[in-house]
Amino acid sequence: MKKIAIILSVLVLLTALSGCAGNNAASNSKPLVVAMELAYPPFETKDNNGSPSGVSVDFAKAFGEYVGREVVIENTAWDGLIPSLQTGKADMVVSSMTITDERKKTVDFSDPYANALLAILANKNSGIKSIDDLNQAGKKVAVKQGTTGDIYAQKHLQNAELIELTDESACVTEVVQGKADAFIYDQLTIYRNWKTNEGTTDAVFIPFQDVEQWGVAVKKGNAELLDQINAFIAKFKSEGGFDKLTEKYLSEEKAAFDKLGFQWFFDVKS
Amino acid sequence: MKLRDLFLSDKNGKTLPLKAAFNLLLLTAVIVTVFWLSVAAVGVTFDFSFLSQFSTRIGQGFLMTLLISLSSFVLSLLLGIASALGQGSRILALRYLCSLYVKLIRGTPLIMQIYLFFYILGTAWGIDNRFIAGVLILSLFEGAYISEIVRGSLLSIDATQWEAAKAVGFSHSQTLRFVVLPQMVARTLPALTGQLASIIKDSSLLSLIALIELTQTMREIIATNFKLFECYFLLGLLYLCLTLPVALVTKKLEKKFSYET
Repeated sequence: MKKIAIILSVLVLLTALSGCAGNNAASNSKPLVVAMELAYPPFETKDNNGSPSGVSVDFAKAFGEYVGREVVIENTAWDGLIPSLQTGKADMVVSSMTITDERKKTVDFSDPYANALLAILANKNSGIKSIDDLNQAGKKVAVKQGTTGDIYAQKHLQNAELIELTDESACVTEVVQGKADAFIYDQLTIYRNWKTNEGTTDAVFIPFQDVEQWGVAVKKGNAELLDQINAFIAKFKSEGGFDKLTEKYLSEEKAAFDKLGFQWFFDVKS
Repeated sequence: MKLRDLFLSDKNGKTLPLKAAFNLLLLTAVIVTVFWLSVAAVGVTFDFSFLSQFSTRIGQGFLMTLLISLSSFVLSLLLGIASALGQGSRILALRYLCSLYVKLIRGTPLIMQIYLFFYILGTAWGIDNRFIAGVLILSLFEGAYISEIVRGSLLSIDATQWEAAKAVGFSHSQTLRFVVLPQMVARTLPALTGQLASIIKDSSLLSLIALIELTQTMREIIATNFKLFECYFLLGLLYLCLTLPVALVTKKLEKKFSYET
């Protein structure tokens, strides 16, 4: 009797497990799961009540309205974003993610909706004035693991020593304390961290690289969703949606960027 | 032999090798099936072809983890013993210091200690070398646990043993050497080797301060090629290569020092 019970329970367990396999097909009534790392204000962040907020959140919600599906924001660590698409835990990633050839091997990207340039936050005593000063033996460069700053440094700063960290704030701390000579990240982050650490750091804004374009990522082969996203981006752009988001979240930065002569996030040249 | 007997250990506690092998094989089959079904359900494919390209870095990371773990083990052993003895000291300041150390370290997460110690204490006292800082932080953390292991076994030695030793004419140092120490070794050694396995696993958190050990190496590789599953799968296997032998030694020691059987 006992034996049969054990065999039965094992069978039940196995069918339950394989049952999960069949449920993956997405239907339109199901909510749209959008993964992003809520650690990059004002694009992906949390408001004071802890709810997701920011440019990407509003953008994702507008897309949900456009396709008539409820949007669920899934806060996911940066490392886990692409795997969450691969495993079907999320339908799309809207997380200020740059379209790169390497990432394209694993996921599909929408048309670009924004762009960004990298910049350098340098320690004041490091004497770093340009990217060439950084590509020297003995120079230490902090980067956030897996970001385009990391990829850029691996490709172009082969003489320098890389310090790969998981936290943006740890990277900034390394520079402020002089453990690293510089931190490479996007212009907006560098601008903000330089503003809060003006006594110890310098911001070096040099357009030493190609413009990075941000796209929405979906699971490889999900053409249906990708077409919807591309159509939406074109519509959103023509209706001035991005201008409204700029006004809501980034008016001060827009003024600073204009003064410095930088290209704005949403001035995407196609 | 009944079918049921095929799955149960014999009454005398022994198991025929063939039966053990059969049961192990069955279990392995079930685990592999469940894992395979899960992988199939998620729809992920594994591709390990990228590994050869990174073998040198992975090897270096593996050695680094080993080096960090062994250094921290030695250092935390010294710290732990010192703090255990300190907690029994009659000098109040020393006793409170040791007890505070154990409570604070055991009561807070390692991730907090790594960030605060590295960026505040490390910077303030000029410990900029990541390896040294990492080993120190890990030793401080593990030392608190070892302290409790040592203190526990110290307390377990009954006061009457001291009296008995005194009665048969042993001096203080003779009692320590012939009565206390052998029992201490027997009681703490298995637990201490077990702690070594914890140290090996805990050292992975030092990747947070970019100490390039095994976990950090894997994260760096993942950052460039997004092979998250393959890399962590291999990472698990490599950590097992370190922790399983330690577990084996622990078991051997437990057997050796259990006088009752």
